[in-house]
Amino acid sequence: MSDRQAKIRELAGAALAEDRVDYFIGWKQGINSSEAIPAFVRNADEVDQLVWNPLSHHNLTAFLKRKMPDPPNARIGVCVKGCDSRTLVALLQEDLVDKERIYVVGVPCDGIIDRRRVEKEFADEVVSISFSGDTVTATTRCGDSKDFAKGDITFDHCNTCRYPNPFYADDMAADPVPEPEDRTPMWGTIEEFEALSPAEKDAKLADAFETCIRCFACIHACPVCVCWDQCVNRSRRPALVGQRVDTKENLMFQMVHMFHVAGRCPSCGACDRACPVEIPLYLLHRKMNKELYDMLGFEPGVSLDEKPAFQTFKLDDPFGEH
Amino acid sequence: MKFLAQDQLQAFLGHLAGESRVVAPVKGDDGVVLFRPWSPGTEVELDVLLAKQSAKEFVLRQSETYLRYGYAMEGEAAAQVDDSHEAKVALEDPAERKAAQDAAVTAHAVLVVEPVNDAPAQVIFGLRPCDARGFVQMDNVFGGYGGFYFDPYYNAKREATTLVAVTCRDPRSTCFCTSVQGGPAATEGADVLLTQVEGGFAVEVVTERGETLLASADLADAGQAQVLYAETVKETAEARVDAAFDLEGVREHLRANIEDSGWHDLSMRCISCGTCTYVCPNCYCFNITDEMVEGQGERIRTWDNCFNPSYTLETSGHNPRDIKSNRFRNRFSHKFWYYPEKYDSLLCSGCGRCITHCPTRIDIREVLGVMGSERTAVSATTPATSGGEA
Repeated sequence: MSDRQAKIRELAGAALAEDRVDYFIGWKQGINSSEAIPAFVRNADEVDQLVWNPLSHHNLTAFLKRKMPDPPNARIGVCVKGCDSRTLVALLQEDLVDKERIYVVGVPCDGIIDRRRVEKEFADEVVSISFSGDTVTATTRCGDSKDFAKGDITFDHCNTCRYPNPFYADDMAADPVPEPEDRTPMWGTIEEFEALSPAEKDAKLADAFETCIRCFACIHACPVCVCWDQCVNRSRRPALVGQRVDTKENLMFQMVHMFHVAGRCPSCGACDRACPVEIPLYLLHRKMNKELYDMLGFEPGVSLDEKPAFQTFKLDDPFGEH
Repeated sequence: MKFLAQDQLQAFLGHLAGESRVVAPVKGDDGVVLFRPWSPGTEVELDVLLAKQSAKEFVLRQSETYLRYGYAMEGEAAAQVDDSHEAKVALEDPAERKAAQDAAVTAHAVLVVEPVNDAPAQVIFGLRPCDARGFVQMDNVFGGYGGFYFDPYYNAKREATTLVAVTCRDPRSTCFCTSVQGGPAATEGADVLLTQVEGGFAVEVVTERGETLLASADLADAGQAQVLYAETVKETAEARVDAAFDLEGVREHLRANIEDSGWHDLSMRCISCGTCTYVCPNCYCFNITDEMVEGQGERIRTWDNCFNPSYTLETSGHNPRDIKSNRFRNRFSHKFWYYPEKYDSLLCSGCGRCITHCPTRIDIREVLGVMGSERTAVSATTPATSGGEA
C-alpha cells in the first residue's frame, strides 16, 4: 500500500471519527482493479475502501460545486491532486464553495494514466491494472497481459504539468513531490494543432465533434462549470444553442463551455475523461489556457487572491494590441 | 444454416449495399468503434465486442426533422391561400373565412408546412443480440399500445430496417444479458443471426425479412462441422456471462422502496449527465423543439433523458424530479418497474454500456441488487428512513 493511500485513509478516518465532516470523498476501486472511481465514505470504519494510485483520475471537486453537495449544507472532506486543487481555488475565488464547510486533503501527484490508451492495446477487456515502480501491467479477461512504461501512458496534461502539488489543502497526504523550477507552461499537443492551416483546423474540429451525442457528461464532470440546471446549452427559452445534434451545433455547444470556463479552467481534463465517445475536449480548453497565458500572463486557479481572468481587468492589460 | 466465408464478407456487404444503405461498426482513426454508414472497402470491426453507442441512432434518430415550415411572402402567398391557409383556418362561415384569407394576404405571409419523414431502406450489420432486442423493446412504445401511440417517424425507419446480428463470442464482465431474459446468441429482434466460426460465419435466418435479404446472396449451406462449431461458440459465450442479479420480484421491490434512502446513497457519485441513457439501446425519451431562423423553421425531435433538469419541469416551475436522486431513481424504475407494468417486458437488454460509459461507473447491477432485492432484507430490520433528501 502506498504511503499516500495510508495517509489518506488516516486523515479521512480522523475527520469522520471526530465528526468534522459528514462524508469524505476520495477514490476507490471500480468494477475491478483496472479502474478507480469516486468513493463517498460516511463512517470512519469504512475508510479502507479508499485508494490512491495512478488511476485516481476523477477531479472530485466537481462534487463540491453548486447543487452538487447533498444535502446542500453538508460538511465535506475531499481529496485533491495538484490540478484538482486549481479548480478548487477557482471555485473559492468566486465564493462558489464555502471554505468553512470543506476539509481538503492534498495529494501530491506523479501523473495519472490514460486507461483508454491501455484498453486500445487489447481487443479483449482489461480487467486488472497493477503498478510496480514505473511499470504498469495490464491484464485482460482472457489472461493476456502487457507491460507499459508509466510515462508512455500518462495523460498529456500530466506530461506537461507544472503544478503536481496541491495549492490549497488543510492537510497533505505526503510531502510535496519535486516541482519544476521553470513554471513556464508547456502546451504539448496544442502547438501541433496551431501549426495546422485554418482548413485543416476546421476539418479536425468537424471530425472530432461529429460524434458528440450531447450527453453533457463533459460539463457535469467539470468542476468549474457551475450553471447546472440553468445551462444555456440546454435552455430552450431563450433558445441560444440549437437542440439539433450535428457537427455545427455540437461545436457551438463546446465553444460555449470553453468560453464560460475560461479563466477558471486549468484544463484538468475531467471533461475529456468523461466523454463516452472520446472527443479530445481537453485540447479546446488547453488552447484557451494558452491564449490567456500569452495575452495576459494568466494561469487559472494558482492563487486565492486573484480573480478569474474574465472577471477583472488591469489597467495595463494588453487589449487592443491583439 | 448457411455459411459466409470471411473473405466473402466485403462482397456480401457490397451486395447488400446495392439494395440499401448498410450500417456497421467501424473503427475510426481515434480507435473509437461506432456504427457508421458502411462503404465498400471499409473494414467491419467485430473483434471489439460493443460499439461505443448502440445502433439505436439509425432508427430513433438523435435529431430528426418532423416538418419544415415557413412563411411564403407576397405573391406566392396569394397563390397558396386557397390550399394551405384554408386548411389552417377552419372557419365554417365562408365570409369569415374570406376575411381571414384576406387578412393573411394583407399580412403578406402565409404559413407553409412541409412534413418530412425520410426512411431509406437500410441494413444494420454486426450489431449484438442485446442491441437488436433493444429495438423490440422500443417497438412497444412507438408502435404498440393498441396503436394509440403509433409513431410514424420511428416506424417508417423501423420498417425499412433489417437487422443482421452477430453472436457475442467474448462477453465482457459488464455484460448481463442473461440476467434480463436475453443471451449472447438470442435472436429476438434480429432478422439474421451470424455466428463467427472458423473461416467465416454460420448464418441463421430468423425472420421472413431475413430470408428475403439472403435470398439473392447465394450463400452455401453450412457444413456439419460449422453447425457444431457455432453451437459451441454460443454455449461458451452463454457460460461466460455472469449472473448479475435475480430478476424475480425486482419490480415489487422497486415499488416498495421508492422512498428509501438507498436511492440517495447510490446516487451520490452520479454526476447527473445523460451518458447512460444516450448509449443505451432501449432508452427512448425525446423532446420536441421548433427552431426558427428568419421566418424559416423546423420542428425537430431530439433525444432527451431523465437526468436533464427540464425533463419533468412543469410550466408552473414545479419539478417532481427536482433533485439528482429523484432523477437517478427514475432511470432504473422506468426500466424495471413502470415499463414492465405497462408492456409486460423489460426496458433493458443487458449490454452494460451504461456501466462502462458512466463517468463514475454507476453500476445498474449494483443498483438493482441493492434496491431490487437485498434492500428488503435491510428495511425489514431497520425502520425505513423516508427520502433522506434535502
